[in-house]
Amino acid sequence: MIGRRPPAGRQVIDVHAHLGPYSLFHIPEPGARQMVDVMDRTGTQVAVVAANRGIQQDAHLGNTETLAAVDAHPGRIAAYAVINPWQDPDRELERLAADDRFVGIKVHPSLHQYPVTGARYAAVWAFAAETGCPVLSHSEHRSAYDAPVLFETVADRYPDAQVILGHAGISPAGVDEAVAAASRHSSLWLEVCGSQMTGQLITGMVEQVGSRRVLFGSDFPFIDQRMSLGRVVYASLTEDEREDVLGGNAHRLFRWRPLPGDPGEPR
Amino acid sequence: MPDDVTSGWFDAHIVTGAHPAALLQPTDRDAIATHLATYELSGALVSAMASWLHDPLTGNAEASAVADDLADQGVLACWTAVPPVHGEPHTLGGLVGQAADGEGVGAFRLHPRSHGYSPVSAAMDEFYSALAVTGLPLCVDAAELDWSQLAVIATRFPTLRIVVSQVGYRELRNLSAALRDHDNLSVDLVNFAAHQAVEWLAANGLADRLLFATGLGLRDPAESIVRLAWSGVDDATVRRIGSGNAAGLFAGRLPAAVGGQR
Repeated sequence: MIGRRPPAGRQVIDVHAHLGPYSLFHIPEPGARQMVDVMDRTGTQVAVVAANRGIQQDAHLGNTETLAAVDAHPGRIAAYAVINPWQDPDRELERLAADDRFVGIKVHPSLHQYPVTGARYAAVWAFAAETGCPVLSHSEHRSAYDAPVLFETVADRYPDAQVILGHAGISPAGVDEAVAAASRHSSLWLEVCGSQMTGQLITGMVEQVGSRRVLFGSDFPFIDQRMSLGRVVYASLTEDEREDVLGGNAHRLFRWRPLPGDPGEPR
Repeated sequence: MPDDVTSGWFDAHIVTGAHPAALLQPTDRDAIATHLATYELSGALVSAMASWLHDPLTGNAEASAVADDLADQGVLACWTAVPPVHGEPHTLGGLVGQAADGEGVGAFRLHPRSHGYSPVSAAMDEFYSALAVTGLPLCVDAAELDWSQLAVIATRFPTLRIVVSQVGYRELRNLSAALRDHDNLSVDLVNFAAHQAVEWLAANGLADRLLFATGLGLRDPAESIVRLAWSGVDDATVRRIGSGNAAGLFAGRLPAAVGGQR
C-alpha cells in the first residue's frame, strides 16, 4: 500500500532547493510558506535553499530573500549564499562568513556563463577548502561551464573543498561522467534531482561511489519535490542506503555550520 | 472498489518495448504485469515504443498483443496513427473504425513531429472526426506539436477528447491557457513536474482534467506515484485523478473496478 503519507521516522534533508518566482515559466505557490507545507507532507525536515532571484538576476538581493525565509521558518529552511562570479564574489563571501545563517555556497556556472575552472571562482573554492563550507554547483553534461569533468580540475586544485555536483550531470550520459569524477575524487558528491533522473540511475550511483556520497535534492519549487523523492523512495536500495541518501549524508556533509536538527556528532 | 484511496488507480500512459537511448527497465508483458501488481493498479493504457520509434502499425500489433494478454488486468491498447501516403490502401477513418470495432483499443496516439507531418493539415480531419464519433480519445506528447496546433485541433473538433502528456515543469502558462480555452482537453501526470501544479489545477476547478499516468517505459513510475499519493489534494480528488477521470474518458472500455470509482 502506498498510503497518503510517507513512513514515519525517515530523515529527509533536501540539499537542492530554490525559492520564489522565475521569469521563464510560472511557478504556483513559490514562497517559503508553501514550500514548508509541501515538506510537511513529504516528511522533509530541512531544505537548503538558494533563492531564484539570487541565481537568476541579483545574488545579493537573492541572498537577502533566502535569509528572510530562514528567519520566517527557523529549523526548516537553511540558506545557501549564491556567489555570482560577475557580481562582486568577495563581498558575498565576506557576508557568508559573517552570517551563520548561511550553511553553504551555491554557484550556477551555466546560468552565469563562467567556467568552474576560471579565476573568478578561485575564491569560492579556496574558501570552501579552508572552512569546510560545502558548495552546491549546477552540473550539466557537455556544458562548457560546469560539465562534471571540469570538477575534477577543481578537485585536483582544492582537494579539501567539498563540492556537490547538482543534478549529477543531468542526463544519463552526464551521470556516467559525474560518477567517474566522484569515483576519482572523494571531495565530490552526487546530488540526484533532474528531469531525466531515474531510480535506476540513482541505484547505479550508489553502487559505484557508495551510498555515503549521494545526496537527496529535488530542485523544488522549480520541479515538484515529490518527483525526485519518489525516485529515491522506490529505488532499489537497502534501507540503510536509502537513509544515507535521503538525509544521513547531508548531516555528514554540512559540518561547518550544522543543519537544523543535526544529531550533533559526526557519523 | 478498493478501500485505500491510493489503490486501484488506472495508469493512462505506459509504453511497451525498448527505448534506444535511455537507461530504463524493459517494459515487456511481464514487466507491465509486475508494474500493475507493485502499485496495485486497476489497469493501464499501453502504447508501443515501436509505434513511435520504428513502425507504427507493427507497434500497434505489439500494443494489442500486450493488451490482449493482460485484458483481465484492465489493460487497453493505445494505437498510433500516421497519415497514409500515396499507394497505401488504408484510411485514417478506416483505422479508427477497425480499432473501435475490435476488442481492447482504448485510445489513439499521434507523434506528428517525430513522424514528420502536420497535425493540422486537412488530411487529418477524417481521423479527428472518426475519433470524435467513436469516443476514442486522442493522446499526444507536448513535444510532438505546438500549443497553437493543439488549440486548432481542440477548437475544430470540440467533442474530441484530447490528452496531452509529458508537459514538464516549464509549460504551465501554455497549459493553463489551453485548459481554460478547451473543455475537451486533459493532461496526464507523466512528467507533470511543475511545483504544486496538481494542487493548483485542483484549486482552480480543473481536477477533472487530470489523469493519473506514470509513463512506464519513458519515465520512472515512482515520480507520478508519489506525486499523487503525497499530494495536497483531498482523498476524493486523489481518487478522481487516480481512476475516476479515466473511467469517464475510456467509458465502456474499462473493467468495472475502474468504472465503479467515478
